[in-house]
Amino acid sequence: MLSPARSRPAPDDAGSAVFRGRALPWAFLLPSLLILAVFIYLPALQTLRLAAYRANVILGTEQFVGLANFAELLSSPAYRQVALQTLVFTVLTVTFGLLLSLGLAWLARRPVRGASTYRLLLIYPYALSPAIAGTLWLFLFNPEIGLVNQLLGELFGVRPRWLDTPALAFGLVTLAAIWKGLAYNIVFYLASIQNLPRDVMEAAEIDGATPAQVFWRVAFPLLSPITFFLVFTNIIAALFDSFALTDILTRGGPYTGNAGVTTFLVYQLYQDGFVNFRTGAAAAQAVMMLALVAFVTWMQFRVGERRVHYGS
Amino acid sequence: MLTLALLGTVATPLASAQTTVEFWHSFGDAKRSGWIQARADEYNKSQNAVKVMPSYKGSYNDSLQATILAARQGKAPALVQVFEVGSQLALDSGAFQPVSSVRNVDFGDYIKPVINYYTIGGKVNSLPFNSSSPVLYFNQDLMKKAGLNPKQPPTTFGGLLSACQKIEAAKLNAKCFGMSLNGWFIEQWMAQQGAPLLNNANGRQGRATATNLDSRAAKNIFTFFKTMQDRGYYTYTGKLQDWDGSDAIFTNQKAVFHITSTADIGNIRDAAKKAGFGVGVGVLPIADGTKRNGVVIGGASLWISKGVSKAQAEGALDFALYMTNTQNMADWHKLTGYYPVRQSSIELLRKQGWFTQTPLQLVAFNQLTRTVPGAATAGGLNGAAIQTRKIMEEGVQKVLAGQNVDAALKETKTRADAALAEYNANFK
Repeated sequence: MLSPARSRPAPDDAGSAVFRGRALPWAFLLPSLLILAVFIYLPALQTLRLAAYRANVILGTEQFVGLANFAELLSSPAYRQVALQTLVFTVLTVTFGLLLSLGLAWLARRPVRGASTYRLLLIYPYALSPAIAGTLWLFLFNPEIGLVNQLLGELFGVRPRWLDTPALAFGLVTLAAIWKGLAYNIVFYLASIQNLPRDVMEAAEIDGATPAQVFWRVAFPLLSPITFFLVFTNIIAALFDSFALTDILTRGGPYTGNAGVTTFLVYQLYQDGFVNFRTGAAAAQAVMMLALVAFVTWMQFRVGERRVHYGS
Repeated sequence: MLTLALLGTVATPLASAQTTVEFWHSFGDAKRSGWIQARADEYNKSQNAVKVMPSYKGSYNDSLQATILAARQGKAPALVQVFEVGSQLALDSGAFQPVSSVRNVDFGDYIKPVINYYTIGGKVNSLPFNSSSPVLYFNQDLMKKAGLNPKQPPTTFGGLLSACQKIEAAKLNAKCFGMSLNGWFIEQWMAQQGAPLLNNANGRQGRATATNLDSRAAKNIFTFFKTMQDRGYYTYTGKLQDWDGSDAIFTNQKAVFHITSTADIGNIRDAAKKAGFGVGVGVLPIADGTKRNGVVIGGASLWISKGVSKAQAEGALDFALYMTNTQNMADWHKLTGYYPVRQSSIELLRKQGWFTQTPLQLVAFNQLTRTVPGAATAGGLNGAAIQTRKIMEEGVQKVLAGQNVDAALKETKTRADAALAEYNANFK
């Protein structure tokens, strides 16, 4: 993934690899640029423009309101609650998701009997669509007829209301998101662990390092490039891919304080844009999320330069 | 070149002789979309002037949005199925024309509460199609176990509460009551009490600017939930608008009473048979001490786009009338449980002995046909109805979580009124 590009044999005629003139490279880029313009740049500009309007896509009405959409969002207790919930959700899913998958990948690397079966079982949830995963969890955690409460009821005589107790619903969605992301992270960690330089690991063992020391002092730093990559893909996943899971499992509920406790930024945007047809307000939220992603990307480069060791 | 031109002139009259009518609907399941396709095929075979092409365009929300966007590009489908809660929005979009302006149609055969819902400003705006209302479902076996008479199901909130007391005492390992939390039911209970949900005669005399959630009627409804919850009689999955989840709780015999749409009669009856218990259907229980005013129609209706040719609009209406004719609506009802929207279809079903074969359905019909016409039972029209419905559900959810009724109602009203104001601001 992050390994350097394979070195190619030098071309016979170095000059032939360079375009002559300026028009030709642009001509080759043109098809991609056109597609990007139609499907990415223009809609992005449209969104930027719409954010300054009170608009409703069904009515086709647009009234210029300047920055009022943003002012309303920032002063709205509901939106602030949603933003805070998103932050907590993101921190929890990324932290625990990565720790857990690193641990599991570390265990799964061992050459035990049936190792490939274990690996397969660890990876399969990645093949489930979030919609199916959400439906599975919904069946499992139905308070009256779900498997989980049947077991808990038999064993301990408790039947928690998973989907409308705020703390439980939030925990459940977080857990489901961690579980759903686990497979993706394990694939990357497993591949990286299997590519760790054997000589370094062996050297550590010969020098008398304990297994814990080998893991934390040698393997973990060597894995920092992939951890770094995963931290950012996981942040983006928590921000955007949480949508299908919450929609099916909780519909963003239960309503507590000023908003649904599992309503995250992207779900709020969907509700406003595509359910309530508050197109302007949704555009403003899209712009805010764009700024957020820009910030995350900027962080990625900044932190990447300083803290991550890519080896020699 | 000449032959091409000749071919062109020959081909054109043939092609233009047939008008194509696109029909966008929101039934993704094979049973219902197959039925619609079969009616279109019959209709297309019966004449040559109009060719109807039905297609599934996703959820009601998606299909409405797709229609509007298509209309802006001058490619609107002639016929669209729009859900009842989106009626005002569809009207305000300006993308549709009232069906009564396409051609003179006698709407006298349509069931009153159904046609009333879709009559806006004195004009029949859309043609009723799939229509339903909520009823009480009950588990006859569990009722008997608790010493209750399934022949006399509760008809009021108070009746339901006292039945719940007996059920609790019988220790059945099942909750008393398990409907899904849906704003639709709150709208229904307002209508039952003769109280409009919105001002300006439920948004029918002018744009609604405020909800009627500070009324006695609204308080009765919220208090009902509070009492049910406090006594531990009520259960639902915890997710809003979880129709399937609550149906599953009922058909797995974990709730004795259930309230949901008449459109589910077929499915629930089949599931109950499989689970081995007898299911009964009763009228929607109402607040104590109020007169039974009847129910508001739910479901969807058929809208005709404005931006289509006269031939297309007439073809669309002609097909819509064919699809909803006496025989077809009776068939549709048997297949799905949705009401047949015509009096003559009810007569036909009666003649066929349908109500003696399936007595469950009769309660639902009587509840609808005995509805008292008026602003309250015509149903609330509001362009932010999708949002206000959810706001009401969230209000009830707060009551269930322990908030007191007055505070919850106040907050709900403030939020719902703000949503109305924001929608109305689009027209300034």
